[in-house]
Amino acid sequence: MITVVLVAAVKSVALVVMVLLGFAYATLLERRLLARFQLRYGPNRTGPFGLLQPFADGIKLIFKESFMPATADRLIYWLAPAISMVAALFVYAVIPIGPEIRFFGATVSLYIADVNVGILLVLGASSIGVYGVILGGWSSNNKYALLGCLRSSAQLISYELAIGLAVVSVVLTAGSLSLVDIVNAQQRLWFVALQPVGFLLFFIGALAETNRAPFDLPEAEQELIAGFHTEYGGFKFAMFYVGEYVGIITMSLLVTTLFLGGWHGPLLPGPHWVAVKTFAFMCLFIWIRATMPRVRHDQLMAFGWKVLVPLGLLNVVATAVIVALVGG
Amino acid sequence: MGTLAAFFILSAVTLIPAVVVVTSKNIVRSALALVPTFFGITGLYILLRAEFVAGIQVLIYAGAITVLILFVIMLTEGGTGIRIRQVNEQVPVGALASAVLAALLIWVFLRTPWPQGPGALPEYTAAQIGTTLLSSMVLVFEVTSLVLLISLIGAIIIARRER
Amino acid sequence: MPIPIEDLWSLVPEFWLAALGLLLVLLDLFLPGDRKRLVGWAAVVGLLLVLMPILGMLGTPARTVFFNTYAVDGFAVFFKIIAVVATILVILSTMDALRGHTSFEGEMYVLLTFAALGVCLMAASADLILLALSIEFVSLSSYVMAGYFKSDLRSNEAGIKYFLFGAASSAVMIYGFSILYGLTGETNLYAIADRVRTAPQPALVLAVGMALAGLGFKVSMVPFHQWTPDVYEGAPTPVAAFLAVASKAAGFAALVRFLMVAIEPGPVDWVAPIAGLSAVSMTLGNLLALPQRNIKRMLAYSSISHAGFLLMGVAAHRGDFGAPGLLIYLLAYTFTNLGAFFVAIAVGGRLGSDEIPSYAGLAQRSAGLAAVMALFMLSLTGIPPTGGFLGKFYIFGAAVNNGLLWLAVVAVINSVVALYYYVNVIRVMYLLPAPSGGSASGPVPLRLALGVAALGTLVIGIFPQPFVTLVGAAAMLLRM
Repeated sequence: MITVVLVAAVKSVALVVMVLLGFAYATLLERRLLARFQLRYGPNRTGPFGLLQPFADGIKLIFKESFMPATADRLIYWLAPAISMVAALFVYAVIPIGPEIRFFGATVSLYIADVNVGILLVLGASSIGVYGVILGGWSSNNKYALLGCLRSSAQLISYELAIGLAVVSVVLTAGSLSLVDIVNAQQRLWFVALQPVGFLLFFIGALAETNRAPFDLPEAEQELIAGFHTEYGGFKFAMFYVGEYVGIITMSLLVTTLFLGGWHGPLLPGPHWVAVKTFAFMCLFIWIRATMPRVRHDQLMAFGWKVLVPLGLLNVVATAVIVALVGG
Repeated sequence: MGTLAAFFILSAVTLIPAVVVVTSKNIVRSALALVPTFFGITGLYILLRAEFVAGIQVLIYAGAITVLILFVIMLTEGGTGIRIRQVNEQVPVGALASAVLAALLIWVFLRTPWPQGPGALPEYTAAQIGTTLLSSMVLVFEVTSLVLLISLIGAIIIARRER
Repeated sequence: MPIPIEDLWSLVPEFWLAALGLLLVLLDLFLPGDRKRLVGWAAVVGLLLVLMPILGMLGTPARTVFFNTYAVDGFAVFFKIIAVVATILVILSTMDALRGHTSFEGEMYVLLTFAALGVCLMAASADLILLALSIEFVSLSSYVMAGYFKSDLRSNEAGIKYFLFGAASSAVMIYGFSILYGLTGETNLYAIADRVRTAPQPALVLAVGMALAGLGFKVSMVPFHQWTPDVYEGAPTPVAAFLAVASKAAGFAALVRFLMVAIEPGPVDWVAPIAGLSAVSMTLGNLLALPQRNIKRMLAYSSISHAGFLLMGVAAHRGDFGAPGLLIYLLAYTFTNLGAFFVAIAVGGRLGSDEIPSYAGLAQRSAGLAAVMALFMLSLTGIPPTGGFLGKFYIFGAAVNNGLLWLAVVAVINSVVALYYYVNVIRVMYLLPAPSGGSASGPVPLRLALGVAALGTLVIGIFPQPFVTLVGAAAMLLRM
């Protein structure tokens, strides 16, 4: 009993540290890559290649004055960034990053919990993340923040549906809700080949879920200052920032898990493959941000409800029919 | 013993925010207090080994319905700013009535020798729920979709603007 | 477990109604604004067509389909007939009643059609989950219909009030169902009937009581009746007619099936409480109807007292008179009460007032309207040769037969009291002078509906034999 708890605790701590490190370097990656796309250098003075830049940023944010609008709703104003960050981190309890490995003579699985409804938990946690946005925007009592949070939550709810439908088609193909089983089902053929429409839906939905360009209206600087976190500064802002970038990592990891065969791949051991695939997707996220113009809000909602959702439903129906005919 | 303790903790997690829901003067906090209530219920489902229902509970109730409630409050004119009273001068009467009802329920539940089926817990998987929904409960399932459709139509009728 | 194909055939009316509802939604979408009336006519035609498969099922043996969740028997068929006929008449009466109050017409027909489907489902549900779901189905469409006039504060109040009361009572009822499930381990009514004998006592009583709360709300039984007058007054009058007739009939169907199938074999004595509630309902409804000046409020209180009379039929279910009496009373009540509401629509549409004093001199303005209103009032009182008399006759007979003499006495006294306020309407129409000229007859569809209602009221009273046969068959088939 004690051992089980200990192993789980060690794994959790290791994972959180890893994810936070990943977050720190995701910000650096984004700044450096964006700079490259725009033929600039980006931050390269702090440490070799700017590698210490994220830590400098972190220290700066921690030591900033903790400021709060006078008319803010205190409790909720403090709670919102925490919800955002915790919801983003919680997902890692069920996402597998590799098969079981031998570690000091003991078999250790590279996931914290293989819940048999794992994918539901992932979707649930990401839907809880919406609260961080909507409450942060509301509680700061600022009209730009409120507009940003309303836009953002409308967007999140709509695109969550598209993601959910894409996931349903994956679940139908794999025949299980457990992420470990889904990865194992892709041993021979990745689901990106079996579910191209689902993959596309999921990827577009993932862009919208993480509020990334071209769907970054909630924080459209030109009209809304900074969107729902306009009134946040210092470490509270950093927590929102963690939520956002961890969200990007999560979505890349999920695409890897659900469509690109997770840890399956030739030569390299499992976790390396997961890392490579995830990294590739993060670069894709940034590339898209550097390339695509922002869409209008009504276009965004119309695209979500009139294109993605019907497409997702059709995909689910088609998948169900094929699965019934082939596997049954 | 552990189960009992977990049950009491989860009940507290469910009930205390539920009281906030019906008493808070701030309607956003009222709506927000629904979230821990739903999580408490999720915990109860997990305690009953109904993982799938628990997952759906988080996804639908905590994740979608409460967000929509918040959304509606924020889009309603003056919905968030005002401090409202949720209760009127009949609080004592209502409290008395609910106390009597609670006492009656507890008394009845304690006196009833509840039937306990033999055997272990059924294998409670999502697949089995799906099979049940599409075989013995297929009519219920289909009627549910019609009920949702009529709710959608009704909501649109209520929400639209009279020309 | 594949579904037998015969099961699908026995659900043809429900499929038809669902398809009709969806078709009407599409039709409403594509018709231009001034042609929305066509949606109503399409609904009427569709509903008339669905009567064919329903009537075709009259003679079929009673059975349950879809893994015992749905009953196909004469009882259900009877209520489906009531639902469809009532909905046709209500749609006919709606066609002009909406003008000037709202610019949206088509959706009302859609909601009415779906509500008819809900009533059919309620009458035939043989499973607690399906029962709760179909009650919600009817309720949800009724809430929206009650608050349909958005610019009218009273209609808004009606919608909100109906919703709040309905949601609370549904919650209590579903809690009761869940306790019943905990006690018997079954949700199927027929399976519960097998287990209910050995179910532990105090909680079983509680479960039945809580279930009665939700069903009692639907039929406006007395402790759960408070919503009735306000909702009937505020809701659009055709909707009030639908609530007073179809929704109430569905409530009785569910109540009777729940009590007689699932609870009857058990140890709970539900007859005495139902008889008591029946006496209270009819007395309170009548006493409160006496001082009413608004015709819709008066009809609302009268519908509470009629719920009392109908409950008397439920309490006196044993023997040859109880269940048939209940059904024939409901049939007569359907036509009569619909007719009374239709007159209120005609008068309200012409005079813009629902107050009883504004009915003064209706006999001079519109002799036909006054005559049918007089007929409906007499039938509601229960005076021969109207259908109301036949229903009361059966139900009183059943009460005496079942040893509920006291209840029969209370009912007779109440009928006499009711005479006062029903005849008062006739007095106002015939004896008081009209304040101003001008005729007050309704448009063609409404007159059609009125004619059918009047005809039904009279025919049931004068040629009762076919109806007696019909309800006899329906009541016989109930207990499988």
